Amino acid sequence: MSNPYIPYLTRVKSIVTENKVNDIKTVELEFKNEEDYKKFDYIPGQFAEISIIGKGECPIGIASSPTEEGTIKFTIKKMGTVTSAFHASELGDIVGVRGPCGNGWPIEEMKGKNIVVIGGGFAFSTLRSLVLYLLDEKHRKDYGDITVIYGNRDPGEVLYKDVLDEWKKRDDIKVVLTIDREAEGWTEEVGFVAPIVKKVAPSPDNAIAVVCGPPIMIKTTIAVMEELNWGPEAILNSLEARMKCGIGKCGRCNIGNKFICTDGPVFSLAELKELPDEY
Amino acid sequence: MEQKILKKEDIGKLYNEFSSEYKFYAPIKQKGNIVFERIENPDDIVLDYLNSRIPPKSILFPQMEVLFEYKLDDKDVEITDRQDLDEKFMIFGIRPCDAYSYELFANFFSFHGNWKDEIYLKKKENTTLIGIGCNTPRSTCFCTSVGGHPFNKENMDVFLTDLGETYLVEAISDKGKEIVKKLSWLSDAADKDVKKSEELAKKAEESFVTQIDVDTIVKNLEKSFDHPVWDEISEVCIGCGSCSYLCPTCTCFDVIDETDQYNNKGRRVRIWDTCQSCLYTLETSGHNPRDTKIQRCRNRIMHKFSYYPANYDLLGCVGCGRCIMVCPANNDLRDHLAKIEKIGKEEKEEKAVV
Repeated sequence: MSNPYIPYLTRVKSIVTENKVNDIKTVELEFKNEEDYKKFDYIPGQFAEISIIGKGECPIGIASSPTEEGTIKFTIKKMGTVTSAFHASELGDIVGVRGPCGNGWPIEEMKGKNIVVIGGGFAFSTLRSLVLYLLDEKHRKDYGDITVIYGNRDPGEVLYKDVLDEWKKRDDIKVVLTIDREAEGWTEEVGFVAPIVKKVAPSPDNAIAVVCGPPIMIKTTIAVMEELNWGPEAILNSLEARMKCGIGKCGRCNIGNKFICTDGPVFSLAELKELPDEY
Repeated sequence: MEQKILKKEDIGKLYNEFSSEYKFYAPIKQKGNIVFERIENPDDIVLDYLNSRIPPKSILFPQMEVLFEYKLDDKDVEITDRQDLDEKFMIFGIRPCDAYSYELFANFFSFHGNWKDEIYLKKKENTTLIGIGCNTPRSTCFCTSVGGHPFNKENMDVFLTDLGETYLVEAISDKGKEIVKKLSWLSDAADKDVKKSEELAKKAEESFVTQIDVDTIVKNLEKSFDHPVWDEISEVCIGCGSCSYLCPTCTCFDVIDETDQYNNKGRRVRIWDTCQSCLYTLETSGHNPRDTKIQRCRNRIMHKFSYYPANYDLLGCVGCGRCIMVCPANNDLRDHLAKIEKIGKEEKEEKAVV
């Protein structure tokens, strides 16, 4: 046993500003000790408690895929004390990392199935991780067709443009990008995520869908998917909550008798229907 | 079982045997309240108390506790782990309900796979409990309704019974047997002492007036999340959180960094927190899953009487009655539970009338 509140120490290796308004950055971290990196054995969809030591700690989804070896990445929106401290951090700064936490996307159960990834806005980080994992040459053959539908308010808010461009060049993944309303120079879909899902109409046959985004997007998208005959077991969500410990001790992220941090953050729609509506 | 007799005037002698090896805690009177404190003078120890205001959970899970310390360099950070977790604790004069709460804590803090709260568990492992039975339970006590007993010895290492002039001393666990062995100067107990302790236990048990049917409550709660009873239960709550801060089974905490900017060092600490506070679940975005008092009051009772049984097959309440004692709005958990117990019955009666 060891003190579960002590973080691994990492250093900021790179910082990428992801959007035009400059409130979302992706921070790449390199572990100070190689041994710690080996212990940090994660799958897509898990999160970590990351901290600027002296400022505080917060739970953030892991944006990198375990197939991107050597470093881990987190996409952080400037919101409160800790995330603002991250935005002020510089190359070489120390960052504390505890984890990996949570269950992650069920990559084993997803094997042999067609995968539909639906994301809205800033919630795309663990979806980036998932898609990169699925597309990796070691794993691609284990999964069927891959469809990505990713919506944003405007072109300036689209995250991970470099990987999206790479995905669009491939013929083993379908990528549909959309923005809320028309903008100059935008040549892809226009409209909210839900109607675009209706238009793309992904088949529920032997498929699993992963839906992440703001609550209103999730609600409208799920309504469309039910129309398309998707069952609640095949629709996965990743939940968020205020968390302090990330390891099922501090108490605050419960929905009924489940903890988002250890029982989730990934729940199927069928599981969520069993839980009280308190998240 | 080995049974001995400790004279009341020899408590100081017992303290002297262990105070150098253990951090010795016992109930003392402070500002009119009974609290568990580290003992410096054994004459301060008070054993004929009804129940301490602050539960002795504060010894192993203090209101503020350091998780680790750090030193900040220009481009580096040095972390120092807790160095004091091998210290041994002796908690003298603890009541059966509070002793059981340590078991619930240990159970909760070792749950969830590989994430065990080593800080608490290590301290618990290094703790010896010399408990005492409750000859005169408080009017607010209801341990017998939640599976406890005023003379429950299960979670103790050594168990005392106040016989008037003397204490009957019983070694319960192996650890307790070692402790009693060290107290070689204790005299042997006579049959009449043991008999008297049994009578006291029976008398104490019979003094309870509260009878709560917990099984029915647990069952009713499974399907009562949206029941109007929560409106009623939360109506007079002022949301102060005393009930949960002073609950011996409430484990929730907040985590913050305390930095000494002038000396480039600090510590990450955890502090008692409560689900009764609206800030507890408030997210940075402004969204709050439990932004109403009804939701928060419901969560407290559901946690103890529904989520706890569902997850661990245990009740999250030891029946100490502190939440009843300390509530400034006179909320009484027993009344709330009685309302929940009635849920199915009332509906049946209504149907019968129709």
